[in-house]
Amino acid sequence: MIELRGNEQKTLLALQKLEGKGQVDQIVEISGLAHAAAMRAALALSTKNLIQINEQTQTIVILNDEGKYHAQNGLPERRLIHALIKLGGKASVKETVKKAALEEKFCTIALGWLHRKGWATLEEKEHLLTTHREPSVGIDEKLLDLLREKGPQVRESLNKDLQKAIIVLKSRKLVETDEKTLRELELTKAGWELVEQGIEIVEEVSQLTPDLVHTRKWQKVKLRKFDVTAPGPAVYPGKIHPLQQIIQRIREIFLEMGFTEIRGSIVQTAFWNFDALFQPQDHPAREMMDTFYLSNPKTGKLPERRIVDRVAKTHMDGWKTGSRGWQYSWSRDEAKKLIIRTHTTAVTIHYLAEHQEPPAKVFSVDRIYRNEKLDYQHLAELHQIEGVIMDKGVTLRDLIGTLREFYFRLGLKKVQFWPSYFPYTEPSAQSTVYVPKLKTWMELCGMGMFRPEVLEPFGIKYPVLAWGGGLERLAMVMLDVDDIRFLYKNDLGWIRRTPVCQQ
Amino acid sequence: MPAITLNRDRFCSFLDRSLSVEEMAKWLPWLGLDLQNVGPDYVKVEFNPNRVDFCSYAGIARAFKGLMGWETGLPEYNVKKGNITLNIDSTVGEVRPFMLAAVVREINLDSEVVRELMEMQEDLHWGVGRDRKKASIGVHNLNSVEPPFTYTTGEPDGVRFIPLDKMEEMSLQEILEKHEKGVAYSHLVDWASRYPLLVDRKGEVLSMPPIINGELTRVDDYTKDLFLDVTGTDLNAVVRSLNVLVTALADMGGTVETVEVKHPDGTVASPDLTPEKMKLRVGYANELLGLRLPDARVVECLRKCRLDAERVNKGVLEVSISAYRIDVLHEVDLVEEVAIGYGYYRLKPTRPTTVTTGQQHEMNELANYVRQIMIGLGFTEAMNFILTNEDTQFERMRMEIGRVVRLANPVSTEYSIIRVNLLPGLLENLSGNRHESYPQRVFEVSDVVVVDEKAETRSERRLHVAGVSSHPTANYTEIRSFVEALLTNLGITDYKIKGVDHPSFLEGRVATLTIKRKGRGLLGEIHPQVLNNFELENPVSAFEISLEEIK
Repeated sequence: MIELRGNEQKTLLALQKLEGKGQVDQIVEISGLAHAAAMRAALALSTKNLIQINEQTQTIVILNDEGKYHAQNGLPERRLIHALIKLGGKASVKETVKKAALEEKFCTIALGWLHRKGWATLEEKEHLLTTHREPSVGIDEKLLDLLREKGPQVRESLNKDLQKAIIVLKSRKLVETDEKTLRELELTKAGWELVEQGIEIVEEVSQLTPDLVHTRKWQKVKLRKFDVTAPGPAVYPGKIHPLQQIIQRIREIFLEMGFTEIRGSIVQTAFWNFDALFQPQDHPAREMMDTFYLSNPKTGKLPERRIVDRVAKTHMDGWKTGSRGWQYSWSRDEAKKLIIRTHTTAVTIHYLAEHQEPPAKVFSVDRIYRNEKLDYQHLAELHQIEGVIMDKGVTLRDLIGTLREFYFRLGLKKVQFWPSYFPYTEPSAQSTVYVPKLKTWMELCGMGMFRPEVLEPFGIKYPVLAWGGGLERLAMVMLDVDDIRFLYKNDLGWIRRTPVCQQ
Repeated sequence: MPAITLNRDRFCSFLDRSLSVEEMAKWLPWLGLDLQNVGPDYVKVEFNPNRVDFCSYAGIARAFKGLMGWETGLPEYNVKKGNITLNIDSTVGEVRPFMLAAVVREINLDSEVVRELMEMQEDLHWGVGRDRKKASIGVHNLNSVEPPFTYTTGEPDGVRFIPLDKMEEMSLQEILEKHEKGVAYSHLVDWASRYPLLVDRKGEVLSMPPIINGELTRVDDYTKDLFLDVTGTDLNAVVRSLNVLVTALADMGGTVETVEVKHPDGTVASPDLTPEKMKLRVGYANELLGLRLPDARVVECLRKCRLDAERVNKGVLEVSISAYRIDVLHEVDLVEEVAIGYGYYRLKPTRPTTVTTGQQHEMNELANYVRQIMIGLGFTEAMNFILTNEDTQFERMRMEIGRVVRLANPVSTEYSIIRVNLLPGLLENLSGNRHESYPQRVFEVSDVVVVDEKAETRSERRLHVAGVSSHPTANYTEIRSFVEALLTNLGITDYKIKGVDHPSFLEGRVATLTIKRKGRGLLGEIHPQVLNNFELENPVSAFEISLEEIK
């Protein structure tokens, strides 16, 4: 049994009524279907070989505005000849035009056509028109009348004379023609057999509605079958930014490893960002070339005098730390300058200064700033991953072990540790990790143990292990991004496409 | 970081052994050198600023020999007593007070060495001299001038000499104004009434420190004996620069001779390469490193780092530090030397026994709740920079320019202030995504910074959330529904929504949100002029809420 949809059944029944043959418009009228629905049904029926679609091109003739005017008032040459006869068959052009009340713009045309149709003769010298009798109605006039009375006509249905008249009127720019494809539907033999068996119309629905469900009408209707292989329109879920996803993963690792998250000011005094970390005031990293200073507000407050003095002395001669110090004269004003932090370690040392009871295991993944021109591998604003452990008896080997674990949880299993240098840690190390995806080693986190010159001025008594690294470098590898700026472009297409599950 | 390219053959000539580039690449990083690239016959490494003594083949080679165990302990430097005198005139006191000097004889210079010498000079100017401010170096052909020398000052227009790489005499003033080095470094002396000058017995000019040497003492392949001077404003930096340079030249085969430096307060023999002494407690080293090395093993590790140590008590060593090791400030620096000598690659990872539980910061926890709800509402997260500009933050929003944290040295006008609102950034994001399908719903939960005179940093970091919904029928009702859904799901019921006027929003379609009687928020339909300003075609309804009061 051939599967028929409701609209297809209606179309077949309409065709049956039309004795097997009919225009789409007729089908529409009989079936009550919309034109487009009838066409869709017709196409479906023709693929099932139940009907045949005969296409036929028709030319529709229609009056334009000037055509309508002349159809109403008569062609200008007819109006002239009419007036001339009234004037006795002989009169000057001027007189005739006046009598005909012919608009000036039509005069030349009218005279031309009088001559062409041979309705009157024009005596050149005196401008006299002469005629003998009123000419009979021409085919062009017949067509005009027909169009006026019956509206647009199909060329193919007119007689030969009228078809010729179309050409004339078209050349006079009084009618326009328009091509139209007519589709006639015709039942095939199979179609006839089917309708003769009888078609019972069952209401067909595409959407199951609450009404159908609770009235149980669904039992009586036919639920249309869908083409389940047809693609659906795209929809996009709300989603966390891919970079944020990585931040969250790293935060989870820290939390799993028992670290407490800290969060501090983005604006910092140079004191906490540099001085507290034993970076001398003439250190190149403190120059405007590397660090963003503020013009407003310009300076901040320093912590209590006792602490500041110890830091100052440590810089100058080592204070009681056993260090030589940096041997220069330390300036309070320099330390008061406000900057936007160049590392989250500014927040870490502030935290440790206020939380001296061991143990402390803290972390942050937060924004930092470097005075860099933006290009495909540099940003002025980026995220730093930082982890810190302060406890009795923690060692460099513990730091290496912790980092190894941290990387392992990130899926980075091959790690190496090298000697390195950071102004506020000693001993220091640099780690490189093997990235299987890139088949190469990549430098990631730097690390070390805070120097006594950093710890002692704040009264921190126990060793501090710290490590830090850039988030974006890691994110570029994980997200296959080769221009670092792209991470902050917020390209909706990219965010929509990037899977939530990252490997 | 500064870099040095080590040609294999030349590097091997310093080691007196043959080595492949692979072997070099394998071992150099264990000294703390950062491998840049490995070529067919060279290895390029970067060195850290604390180890400027790595600025020469000689410096790296002597450390390498130690690490490999081929030659350990302090390198020996014989300094002969020389007979050249350098007088220091008291007039230099106010402009550039310190000068030390040394003589290095019978050095075998070829063009390669001359180039290396210049690179070392540059590295020292950068690493120790702070771009010549604290210290700068002059290297002269001793044989083209006559000692004794005098470090003095000269009238800006009174003294003339031919500066390096020039054909004609110039006055000191002209050098500062016209010579490329003069222009670059004039700020170091141009404020003084007289400029520093180094002259010989006959008054011939060796150099105008720290700007430029004279053509007279140019060093080339034929130079046999060198006169080195270091001037500066920081005696420590002057001493260190000279020591690093002199020891490298000694390792390159030169014979070092002292110069008698006579200044108004007394006389010193320069250079002084006597090793410094520092105590190291073995227990302290073991404690930090997590090792249990016996005293003798620690001594061995230190010797591999070209230091030396003597046991003065049980568990206490007296360490001798070579003159070129300018990075040792504290006992802890010796601990790292022990680790390097031991080999970082031998350090077995351990896990600290510290037991703690993890806890996220309350603001980030809140931010994550907000994220969860916004995503449930179909919004996608954006992450924008907090650095922005006034045009985006205020002008395009039709707002008066407000009080903001402003950068003194922005890298571009695009990033000159810190945002106080998130919304402008989100409108920019919509603007950049016009080709993507609608509806577009984007949110951001992140920081703004507002000026707060009472705070330590005169500013306060605040957590905000903002969202925008853009499509042909976006309107107030929609955004109000979203805001209420957000608040309800955050468990906030105590809030009021009240009509207000705001230039960024359509009149009569904007409201303020008051949470718990103090929190602030704004919601409404973005003003069409603002849409035009951001080149947006679809209507946008939007909200922004400060989350600080909600926590």
